[in-house]
Amino acid sequence: MSAAGTVRLEGIVKRHGALTVLHGIDLAIAAGEFFALLGPSGSGKTTTLRILAGLEPHDAGRVIQDGVDVTHREPGERDVAMVFQSYALYPHMSVYENIAFPLRMVGTPGTEVDFGVRDAAAKVRIDHLLERKPGQLSGGQQQRCALARAIVRKPKLFLLDEPLSNLDAKLRLETRVELRKLQRALGVTTVYVTHDQEEAMTIADRIAVFIEGRIVQIGTPNDVFEHPASIVVAAFIGSPPMNLLPGTIQRGSVVVGAFESALGREGVGDGPVTVGLRPGALSFADRGMPGRVDLVEDLGDSSIVNVEVGQQLVKVRTQHRPGVREGEAVHLHFAADALHLFDRASGARL
Amino acid sequence: MSRPAEGLPTIAQRERRFALRLLAPALVVLVLTTTAPLLYLLWMSLQRVDLSMPALSGFAGLDNFARMAGDPRFWASLWLTLIYTGATVVTQVLIGLLLALLVMQIPRGQGALRVAAILPIVLAPVVVGLFWRTFVLAPDFGIVDLVTRWLGLGSHNWLGDPRLALISVIAIHTWQWTPFAFLVILASLAALPPDIYEAARIDRASAWQRFWRITLPLIRPAIVIVLIMRTMIALSAFAAIFAATGGGPGTATEILNLYAYRTSFSELNLGYGASLAVVLLAITLLISFAMFTLRKAR
Amino acid sequence: MNLRKAFITAAAAVILVVWSFPVLWALLTSFKTERDVLAYPPKLIFAPTLANYTDVLFGSASLLPNLWSSFIVASFATALAMLIAVPAAYALARLEFPARHGTGFYVLATQMLPPVGLIIPYYLALQKLAALDTYSGLVVIYLTFSLPFAIWLMVSYFEDVPREMEEAALLDRAGRLRALWHVILPQVRGGIAVTTIFVFLNAWNEFLFAVVLGGNRVRTVTVAMFNFISVEQTLWAKLAAGAVLAMAPVILLGLLAQRHIVKGLTVGAVKGGGRR
Repeated sequence: MSAAGTVRLEGIVKRHGALTVLHGIDLAIAAGEFFALLGPSGSGKTTTLRILAGLEPHDAGRVIQDGVDVTHREPGERDVAMVFQSYALYPHMSVYENIAFPLRMVGTPGTEVDFGVRDAAAKVRIDHLLERKPGQLSGGQQQRCALARAIVRKPKLFLLDEPLSNLDAKLRLETRVELRKLQRALGVTTVYVTHDQEEAMTIADRIAVFIEGRIVQIGTPNDVFEHPASIVVAAFIGSPPMNLLPGTIQRGSVVVGAFESALGREGVGDGPVTVGLRPGALSFADRGMPGRVDLVEDLGDSSIVNVEVGQQLVKVRTQHRPGVREGEAVHLHFAADALHLFDRASGARL
Repeated sequence: MSRPAEGLPTIAQRERRFALRLLAPALVVLVLTTTAPLLYLLWMSLQRVDLSMPALSGFAGLDNFARMAGDPRFWASLWLTLIYTGATVVTQVLIGLLLALLVMQIPRGQGALRVAAILPIVLAPVVVGLFWRTFVLAPDFGIVDLVTRWLGLGSHNWLGDPRLALISVIAIHTWQWTPFAFLVILASLAALPPDIYEAARIDRASAWQRFWRITLPLIRPAIVIVLIMRTMIALSAFAAIFAATGGGPGTATEILNLYAYRTSFSELNLGYGASLAVVLLAITLLISFAMFTLRKAR
Repeated sequence: MNLRKAFITAAAAVILVVWSFPVLWALLTSFKTERDVLAYPPKLIFAPTLANYTDVLFGSASLLPNLWSSFIVASFATALAMLIAVPAAYALARLEFPARHGTGFYVLATQMLPPVGLIIPYYLALQKLAALDTYSGLVVIYLTFSLPFAIWLMVSYFEDVPREMEEAALLDRAGRLRALWHVILPQVRGGIAVTTIFVFLNAWNEFLFAVVLGGNRVRTVTVAMFNFISVEQTLWAKLAAGAVLAMAPVILLGLLAQRHIVKGLTVGAVKGGGRR
């Protein structure tokens, strides 16, 4: 289908007046990879995407596509297609003309244009809407029109800036799957920006987690979930996020408040730590960390129980009815290998 | 299309060149038609160029300005300018504001009033001046006179009486431009979200409080814009007064730019006329600078 | 409540009358004979006559050449101004270049120059170029106020176009110029129309430049009206007919484009710039 390409960012720095927006971003994306840039608002992920596209000037660093330095190339010269958050469709042109536009701009002959447009429209299933104007389309249809316009050129790099954020929840879930399938079918290298960690976790091959203009971890969704590199990442990934409690390592045991448990691993010295436990790793048992149930959130097929442990609120996810009531005293159990340890001062993984 | 990175234009540089190409014709025209003449005007204000007495022409340094300082006609015109500008702008804004507030309460009437508001604005100021001089303010036959006679207040020489002339020309300018203030403020009022009023009502705010504490602060930007724009226009208003009174009777309505005009074209004293124009320009720039700074400070 | 609304409606009706009266009264008067005009109390019912119009249009002091002059000068000035202003406004609104804000201020400042200060240099310049009382001379001078005004109005329209649409066009390999032509200009079509109307109105109504820099060959309708009053002192019906003809184009334009003018005024008001 389209020629996939590799992308590399080396030492990208961007400043905005006195503020540094990006502190030196390094990324290497393989050909055909679906790569997500994940982070909260203002973390620099969209800026990075725009620098990749050539829409945003930067103060230092290089952008390299397929081994070629494209840092000074105009956006139109990079063989990159982008789907904007607002879709940025041309309102005065029909859907057909919107999709045809990139082909016309490089002088593609008419028959080829027609074939390309209908092919792309068929791939995203809007071929029955070609005569309409963007203003006459629903949100989901507009998004697919933007997608068609992007894929019609068979670009080497495909950029998506939070393309699902304007859709309602149900449509978001459906479209997520479709996007993934489309990318697989086309095999084009894709960089995808989102603040929704669940989205990134489900569709990306690899994720780069952005916090305040820095990449704090790069890895597969599994890497990031199972082995978060710092408490920042741990707190961001997962819904509900990982519970973080202050504790200490003393002579081979981990102590959290009044609770002590044997530490089943080597190589961790004594000292203050932050203990991380995923809500799904906790369960109610006769023995374990003591606490008092504060609130039960019944979600239907699962529940989130808020348990007061010492001064903190710990969230526990259970698959069925939790069997506990508010105000009840409980004990939280977890497996030894479900324990995450972070250095108290730096937040880094131990 | 591959290019090595060194030594060749960056995206930013190419953007700059593109911008320059787009701006060049406009800048050329503007410099030729404004900056160059302005410099010439400044130069001429330092000359003694009196076409009625050519023998005395030559460089005069700041003589013109010195003469101006002691020229009672100049000070009178300055005073008239300030009164004229202040009175008309304040009146325009007050009436425009009042009207806009009233009209907000009769949504059906808004359309008709908006159409009527266009009429004074699109007319040429010189024609407006002529209208008022003939149909409106003429003694015995003008509309105003008909009304005052009907009310038993008698007939007056609205434009010929020095005491009434200034009020008359202020009325003319106000008549023509109040609709502008009205339209802008009305648009601003119409754009206000209704929920804050509902919230205020629930908080038991009276109508006056709602106006003073909610409406007024929210439409202040619009009012400020109107004030600035109308002040600039009033300072350089020419055609309407020229057509209505020509600056007279005598010098009763001779605002500064009319004085400059008469000096240059009636008395043919170009040097002094230029210096008067320079002073008017300085005042305009000063006031606009002050207004813009005030606007930013808030 | 009803009393209040009645009062407000009455006040609004008064204002309606005050604002539209002069035009309507002039219209009425233009169909009267001179005798009917001087009647007191003023006649509302009378036998209408077209004599005034025929006199003004085809008589000795016909307004037709003046209407034509106004049309030529205003049209050319407007066309030229828009041609230069639209690209310039785009550059100011969207592109990054050094002294961008300074240039913006400069354009704004040129609108603040009192015309009375400019006519002396203009007169002397045109005299030297033997361009007094010529169409080309007047059209170029009209650019003085038309151009900054057009730029300032268009800047706000360009600023309303979403940046992402431009970026999408660039990514679609349109290049800057074609992006401007194919994607951005269609978005500001409405703004161009409104601005053109405003600039034309302004030029049509201009007086000072026309009277000083024009002459016997190029005499716009505003100058003609001004001369009218000194010559035809008490021929008010004829004066009314002349005024109606002189102002008919702008009144019609104003009424037709009324909704857009209101929008344009407020747009211009928010961003700066003004009419004289």
